[in-house]
Amino acid sequence: MSGLVLDHEPVSGIPHGKLAMWVFLASEIMFFTGFFASFIVLRNANIDLFTNSAQALNKWLALLNTIVLIGSSLTMALSVLAIEKGNKRNFQLYMTITILCAFTFLIVKYFEYTSKFSHHIYPWTDLFYSYYFLTTGFHGMHVIGGIIPMVWMLMRSFTKKGYHNHVRVEVLGLYWHFVDLVWIFLFPVLYLMFPTSYVPPIH
Amino acid sequence: MAHLTETETKKEYLKVFFGLMALTVLTVVAAVLHFPESWGKAGDTLHIGIGILIAIVKVLMVIYIFMHLKFDHPYLRFMVIVPVFLFFVLTFALNVLGP
Repeated sequence: MSGLVLDHEPVSGIPHGKLAMWVFLASEIMFFTGFFASFIVLRNANIDLFTNSAQALNKWLALLNTIVLIGSSLTMALSVLAIEKGNKRNFQLYMTITILCAFTFLIVKYFEYTSKFSHHIYPWTDLFYSYYFLTTGFHGMHVIGGIIPMVWMLMRSFTKKGYHNHVRVEVLGLYWHFVDLVWIFLFPVLYLMFPTSYVPPIH
Repeated sequence: MAHLTETETKKEYLKVFFGLMALTVLTVVAAVLHFPESWGKAGDTLHIGIGILIAIVKVLMVIYIFMHLKFDHPYLRFMVIVPVFLFFVLTFALNVLGP
């Protein structure tokens, strides 16, 4: 070691992976903020179009997906707690439920998309659907990006050596809760909250 | 959550979970209920504003309890709260000032 002397303590006690994930998530917040901000600005400028187009969205499927994702957030938090306490069985149980919830979300999303396509609604149909597919598409990719390490960790935990890296599970948990957060905002903004006193013009 | 036992932590998580569920139901109710038409634009603003406010409460619940920010290092809290706050200001202001 060199004789370097530091005036103040540079160590915050935050694991590197965890700090890196939070920095990544802070940038992710800004990534989605761009979409949200431009969506709202364009909606305010095209209130007729956005209100009309949003009527065709299936709000009940979106509600189901909200419940599924919030549930998966709970089981993810519980699986982090389980691996921290060294409880392998509970970790495997909660992680499996989280993965199943993630797949349920994607399957519901698949049905939502295909029903849109069957009604000849595509990303290029109008401005609203362009945003609908953009934001939910990016969100869906984040869900897939979460499933891959979850499955990997679960499979590792079934091997002889087992899986004991609880910091990594915690970091993945942070990511997964963020995916849930994005949906918590997408649900009211995209599906529910539109001006109500507004009456669409008759074409 | 160093200062809480395992069962206490689980209880806390379940509380947040049921709180999130209740707020989700509240969001749907708030979306279905309309303000009187005579309120005009003020009614729209309130309608959308309430939806965003409920989402903000839900987000804070997840960040503070599920993501442990309540128990984390103050540096980390600062780093997260600033962009989240800016996001809230942006979406809320755009929504409320917009229609």
